[in-house]
Amino acid sequence: MIARPIYAVLEREVLRMLRQKTRLVSAMVRPLIWLFVIGAGFGTVIGDSRGIPYQSFLVAGVIGMTMLFGAMLAALTTVYDKESGVMRMMIIAPLPHFWIVIAKVLSAALAAILQALILIVLLALLGYIGSRTNFVLLAGGLVITSLACAGIGILTASFTRSLDNFAAIMNFVIFPVFFLSGSLYPVQNLPEVLRWVSTFNPYTYGVDLLKHATMGPGVMAADFSLTTDFAVLAGFTLLAVVVASWRFSRESAYEPMIHVLTGKQR
Amino acid sequence: MIASAIDAGTSPAAISAAGLVKRYGNLAAVDGLDLEIPAGEFFGLLGPNGSGKTTTIHMLATLVRPSEGRVKIGDIDVSRHPVQARRQIGLVFQESALDRTLTVRENLRFAGRLYNLPPSVSDQRSAELLELFDMTDRRDKPVATLSGGMRRALDIVRGVLHEPRVLFLDEPTIGLDLPNRRRIWRFIERLRARTGMTVLLTTHYLEEAYPCDRVVFVRKGKLVEEGNPQQLVARLGQHILEIEANDLDALRKRLEPELGECLIDGDVAFFRHGAEEMATLASLQTQVGDKATAWRVRRPNLNDVFMWISAGKALKS
Repeated sequence: MIARPIYAVLEREVLRMLRQKTRLVSAMVRPLIWLFVIGAGFGTVIGDSRGIPYQSFLVAGVIGMTMLFGAMLAALTTVYDKESGVMRMMIIAPLPHFWIVIAKVLSAALAAILQALILIVLLALLGYIGSRTNFVLLAGGLVITSLACAGIGILTASFTRSLDNFAAIMNFVIFPVFFLSGSLYPVQNLPEVLRWVSTFNPYTYGVDLLKHATMGPGVMAADFSLTTDFAVLAGFTLLAVVVASWRFSRESAYEPMIHVLTGKQR
Repeated sequence: MIASAIDAGTSPAAISAAGLVKRYGNLAAVDGLDLEIPAGEFFGLLGPNGSGKTTTIHMLATLVRPSEGRVKIGDIDVSRHPVQARRQIGLVFQESALDRTLTVRENLRFAGRLYNLPPSVSDQRSAELLELFDMTDRRDKPVATLSGGMRRALDIVRGVLHEPRVLFLDEPTIGLDLPNRRRIWRFIERLRARTGMTVLLTTHYLEEAYPCDRVVFVRKGKLVEEGNPQQLVARLGQHILEIEANDLDALRKRLEPELGECLIDGDVAFFRHGAEEMATLASLQTQVGDKATAWRVRRPNLNDVFMWISAGKALKS
């Protein structure tokens, strides 16, 4: 019964992603710039990190970045949906409203996975993904990390009235989540306060998982165990869905939404 | 459970509401509304801005929880089974509920899937509905390229794709020009003729509510008048006299003893005249002479009913 509405939301997200060519191109260009420009620059300063060339270390970070930005932007379209009206179509449909939240999370995760897959193909062609990669672990990492990133996005969206705040979201959510994650440097190397903050950042565990997957066994570049990574990411995703659903269905949060939707302010 | 008005009758009403109240803080947006709308009725909910029409529609359509009272769609209790209730209703919001970046067909497939319709079914139904609305050639066009009138029509198609028993139209023609408003009404007529569905609409273009079987006027969340549009107009009187004058107040004092209380709207005074014969009016016009700069006698319409009710005056003089 619920499969078809969820499929509808997923299909719409993919259609929109494929149609917004600039969004897709910039999703590919952004990580490559980091890898080649920042990676090369830092690489010469830092040298090898724990025996791994800095650019190889950065591969997990840029795959994660694609997913973070891809999932965040897709989940934040929930706010756009509220403004543009598609949310009206969804809230009047015969399904409990928490399914809208779940469908949006799944669709954002799907968009992120598709973008990450394209990037991974590009990286493989450029020789950055090779024999050391554990593809099963990478696949698992893509799924759970994209879900967690979508969770961050839907949580942000459920507290956001309008995309006018987008710059604020960029500054206060996306950038801190990215920079305090071990994407650019091992978490262990961070100053204590930042290291402490990073351990509360769910995205840290996604990047860590990707490091496990891209750098192979034996090379100790990851900071946490696989179990910790999966547990934190799954737990956070669940928490995010529950909190966002509660925000969507709670009357005081939901009714203002109705008034926003109908252009009637109270 | 105590038997109430909405349990009475043999077949359940399409929509019934009993003692409906919605409070926001100290403000009662809807204040004790009772509605009983039989299946197949074309029902108009009319009233000034802020009178609680949209809040009422949202309560009937499960989107806003009533502070008090009970709503049933058919025999489904809306508060207890909102999902089942939503399956029975279509709602066209005041503002568009379409994805402008997708085509007409993609939007309708999306809407269909939300109601668990397979694409083959929603394609077939949308083909029929688009034909009914003269929009067949727009199927593969992005919604962003449609005119405002077409987008509204598409919103209605979207609202009835799942063949609801009850259709809510919240100001379906708001913001449209006259030809497009007429088009939308033709579509609604065709749709009713074909499906026989119950339609509840709100509008403040009152002439548009004239085809309704029944209208209610709400004011400050309370039902103030109810009836068949033709009968309501008849209750107001046979003629409306509109007068403009430089000293409107003096003229008003002169005429009110003869014609009853008038309504002042800007520079114009409106009087009601209950009788069909116009001799009284003609002789009054002679007496007033050129103290009135304009003197018009015409038939009343729903706008007059609305004005009188909005001013808080009773219909019967």
